[in-house]
Amino acid sequence: MNRLVSMTVNGEARELAVAPNRTLLDALRNEGSLTGTKKGCDVGDCGACTVIMDGRPVNACLVLAIEAEGATIETIEGLQPSYDQPHLLQQKFMEHGGAQCGFCTPGIIMMAKALLDENPDPSEDEIRFALAGNICRCTGYTKIIDAVRATAEELRKAGTL
Amino acid sequence: MNTYERIDRDLSDRDFTVVGKSVKRSDTLEKVTGTARYAGDVALPGMLHAKMKRSNVAHARIRSIDTSKALALKGVKAVLTHQDVPRVLHAGSPHPRSASVTRDQYILDDRVRYWGEGVAAVAAVSEEIAERAVALIEVEYEPLPGLFTIEAASEPGAPPIHENGLDRNHVLPPVFVTRGDVDKGFAEADLILEREYDLGRPTPAYMEPNVCVSQWDGNGKLTMWTSTQSAFMVRGTLAEVLGVPLNKVRVVVDHMGGGFGAKQDLFQNEFLCALLARQTGRPVRMEFSRKETFLGGRSRHPGKIWLKQGFTKDGRIVAREARVTFNSGAYGSHGPGVTNVGTAALTSLYRCENVRLEGRCIYTNSPIAGAFRGYGVVQTYYALDLMMDEAAEKLGFDPAEFKLMNAVREGDIAPSGHPIVGHGLGDCIRRVMEETNWHELRRREKPESVKRRGIGIGCEMHGSSAYPGIKEQGNAIVKMNEDGTVTLITGTAGLGTGAHTALSQIVAEELGVPFEAVSVVQGDTDIVPWDIGAFASHTTYLGGRAAQLAAADVRRQVLEHAAPLLQAEPADLAIRDGFVVVTSGSNRSIRLSEAVGPKRGMPAMQLVGVGTYMPTKSYSFAAHFAEVEVDTETGEVAVLEVVPVHEIGRVIHPIAAAGQIEGGIQQGIGHTLSEDYVIDLTDGRSLNPSFVDYKMPLSMDMPSIRTIILETAPDPGGPYGAKGVGEDPIIAIGPAIANAIYDAIGVRFHHYPITPEQVLNALKSKANETRQ
Amino acid sequence: MKPFEYYEPASLAEASDLLRRLGKDASIIAGGTDLLVEMKEELRSVLHVVNIKKIPNLRNFTYDPAAGLRFGALVTVREVETSPHVIGNYPNLAKAVSLLGSVQVRNRATIVGNICRASPSADTIPPLIADGASLSVYDGGADRTILLEDFFTGPGRTVLSPGDIVTGISLPAPGPTSGRAYIKHGRRKAMELATVGVAVSIEHVAGQCSDVRIALGAVAPTVIRARRTEDLLRGRRIDAALLAEAAESAMQEATPIGNVRASAAYRRDMVGVLTRRAIGYAMGGAR
Repeated sequence: MNRLVSMTVNGEARELAVAPNRTLLDALRNEGSLTGTKKGCDVGDCGACTVIMDGRPVNACLVLAIEAEGATIETIEGLQPSYDQPHLLQQKFMEHGGAQCGFCTPGIIMMAKALLDENPDPSEDEIRFALAGNICRCTGYTKIIDAVRATAEELRKAGTL
Repeated sequence: MNTYERIDRDLSDRDFTVVGKSVKRSDTLEKVTGTARYAGDVALPGMLHAKMKRSNVAHARIRSIDTSKALALKGVKAVLTHQDVPRVLHAGSPHPRSASVTRDQYILDDRVRYWGEGVAAVAAVSEEIAERAVALIEVEYEPLPGLFTIEAASEPGAPPIHENGLDRNHVLPPVFVTRGDVDKGFAEADLILEREYDLGRPTPAYMEPNVCVSQWDGNGKLTMWTSTQSAFMVRGTLAEVLGVPLNKVRVVVDHMGGGFGAKQDLFQNEFLCALLARQTGRPVRMEFSRKETFLGGRSRHPGKIWLKQGFTKDGRIVAREARVTFNSGAYGSHGPGVTNVGTAALTSLYRCENVRLEGRCIYTNSPIAGAFRGYGVVQTYYALDLMMDEAAEKLGFDPAEFKLMNAVREGDIAPSGHPIVGHGLGDCIRRVMEETNWHELRRREKPESVKRRGIGIGCEMHGSSAYPGIKEQGNAIVKMNEDGTVTLITGTAGLGTGAHTALSQIVAEELGVPFEAVSVVQGDTDIVPWDIGAFASHTTYLGGRAAQLAAADVRRQVLEHAAPLLQAEPADLAIRDGFVVVTSGSNRSIRLSEAVGPKRGMPAMQLVGVGTYMPTKSYSFAAHFAEVEVDTETGEVAVLEVVPVHEIGRVIHPIAAAGQIEGGIQQGIGHTLSEDYVIDLTDGRSLNPSFVDYKMPLSMDMPSIRTIILETAPDPGGPYGAKGVGEDPIIAIGPAIANAIYDAIGVRFHHYPITPEQVLNALKSKANETRQ
Repeated sequence: MKPFEYYEPASLAEASDLLRRLGKDASIIAGGTDLLVEMKEELRSVLHVVNIKKIPNLRNFTYDPAAGLRFGALVTVREVETSPHVIGNYPNLAKAVSLLGSVQVRNRATIVGNICRASPSADTIPPLIADGASLSVYDGGADRTILLEDFFTGPGRTVLSPGDIVTGISLPAPGPTSGRAYIKHGRRKAMELATVGVAVSIEHVAGQCSDVRIALGAVAPTVIRARRTEDLLRGRRIDAALLAEAAESAMQEATPIGNVRASAAYRRDMVGVLTRRAIGYAMGGAR
């Protein structure tokens, strides 16, 4: 039996009708039509479904949609400040080659955002530690780390963090 | 930190405006914003969800399948078994122009040949109901003997897994390659080494699980959104097996989440999804779980390589003999190609005039091996390079110097039969040695501590096409719009490597327009010109050259068009920075948009250029340096640093090229140290079909990588001299690591992956030997 | 994932009553990071899911230098990982929890949930046993306290009965001479299930061991105390020879099995190496 679950997704109040066994991931992708969040394993091993829930990065595949009642969810689609301006992290991922096939990218960018929100000046080791649960099979991580560091640097320069 | 070395001494001194620059990749904006559409993101009104029933035995005949309970479940719309689908024998990876297509698969058969093979499929109103229905299907099996290893399946009298007329479960007749006189070579040798190498079963483990969505329209036309590297092969095979003409099948791939070679195959799902959609009259989506992506996916070929070489005291290789045996798993897939390419590779890399090689590929009741980055060469060059290290030590040479002495040279005959262009391998080895202070590091003191460090070098070469195994063809259409912007229509698939960006750069360069003026249409077989698919490190080499030819065709038309406007001959015109300019005797110019735009009372001309390219072969080269640290108490090996030096002709997009190299290294570290897809040898069951137990190196495991790219041996066949880079990195890193482990602890391994337990056991045996 | 009935009790009493009534087909969900995986992979059949996150007072987190650490059933692994009290006073626990899954998992997973799943390879259990942790259990009547090392009866099995709810966990304060360490062995540096985990909590003065607890993970049906090894060390001066003896002893106490992750023999070897190293680290040795 479906239930109505209210949550704030990317700043917008949403009501999604879901069965109790629907995960937040499936609810976002299907009922929410937000397919930027990817399903790579569905069991919390790959991080492709990382979204920020009440300020904390989580695997959307390991959250029941009904547990998100009242929660604030940020997904990759909500990151851009405006339609013609990608978020700085998104820009840096483009510049530094942080995305190849792109399937892990939304999850990695959301994880990187959560990291920078908490720690605006992460060391390389701290970035690697934060991204431990995000599998990227294309890049060897080098360019992802370049992109996150470049973002942090520029944010610091701009003093906007 | 990355460096992109430019050594243009073999190239014309032409200045490039777009090529060679790391422009913002045009395909990544969609990816970083989450708007890129992958096959699994397609949702259609009324769409059903399908799931496959998979076997829980490795080898059996199906006695009966009872689908009544599944069909009775509310929400189930259709169930298919082998009795309900067309019985057409087809190849799992049907390269239309390959000499070695293996027709050995049915959509569903009355027999299963590996654990996890699809035996039925269900379409239902939700994925969850489809899953429940699958569980309700009852299959009665009549077990057949499981042949899980090469040894078991190739024993005389082994029962055949396929009735292909070949003895002892051979996928194809043995491949023989001979050059020179091997017996004479061994007679001249001062040192003969003979080893057997045993190679594990890594899988590509791309991030996007296999998925497709099918829809038939009222005119009997099928549209298939799927994650494939070879949309036209999927189209061709679907048409053939379903019995419809090509114009009734449209395959769409906007973006795909990695493939690394394996997504050239069809995975049963495409057929089943299409048939379920036809039967129900509704769109059907079928997505594999991660476990299914392991079970029904493709791995690299496990194998055994027996290698014997003869060396002289002065450091030459005078004879090389090898018997390569690959485990194809339950179906042929790329077995013939891999066997041919992997075996023939042993003619080269390190020079040897006398070569006798034998390659075999054997069916077993294990997961299907297919195409995976490095395609047979990962295996054979691992063996070859490891033996070079061993020979160097026995002969008293430095291993890097020894490899340099024997490195393949300009004019040597490559595995493809072509003379090698340039001296890329030597350049790579020399550059690695300079960059890492190789000799100094080799002289470094090695304290007898718990953790010991070692360094190694591994080398490779790889072709930028599948020629001569497959006669490839790339096509491109370039349209000049009336404002001077350009549309490139290409069949080249976007695997994630940045191919479309590279192709756009090439078109922009050729047409003298800014990179941003080029947009790309791709990924729809109804629109784009035929393409063989993205594989064999050939997308830039092949698709890029086709795009270059198409752009040149348009340029010619533009110049012809502009000539009267500039009162000059076309031959005296060029396009630069968006202007058509007179290059001799005048500096007259007009904007490109003026040249091609509409005139008073006249519509604009539609300028369309077409390019077709059929390549032969070029080779890229690499030498990798690896430093490892071995914990002698736990056997754990950490890779501390990798310095890859690659020679790839003209670099079109340095960051994208380096990204290929670094990603290949990640996968190569994986198969060398930790990745192995394992089956239970008693029943064929997969033991680790998950990301927890299939151990890919992750962010914290990856070392720093200092990438260096050389451009010393451009190939005349590639666009601006460009060659491939996709597969090269995964080949060189393995031997670099294994050789570094030897340097650290004095133990030579002859297999991968090299596990901590094996390292520890080897150290214990070594200690015992020393004690005795 | 199969359908299930979902409940959100507002009090412990309601939850306990519900769980008792629903019996073995019911499961508590707290973090859900293990439960949902087990349900998706159909390793467990769960018809009723009881979410305890609406129950008040299960998120408390207190540290007192005399009374030690106490936190509720809903405290996440990440909260414990980032707590300065844990980092400062329970470095073995801090290390162990930082190695559990990913940041994303740790933001949902709870320590108590990780304990209740009773996996022999759970990262949180060895340091908590070594530190002498105990659980508070509500069963509809009065709370009872169970010493963590007495909690497990087998892989996935505990002393709990339907209706029992673990409400929190407490750890005694470390003594002034405490030293602690946890070492996890796996193929990767993160995202691993431990092939072996060793936690050591030792009281020592000038190299002399006055008391010690050693817990071994992933080498027996439950996490175990290496009691004979502890006896060997207690009251003695720790030197290289004794460490070697302790390593050998711990290997004898382990009863590992082999699987795709590691063989039994290798796990046993690692118990020796890791026990020796963990004692060394706990005594302040270099890593």
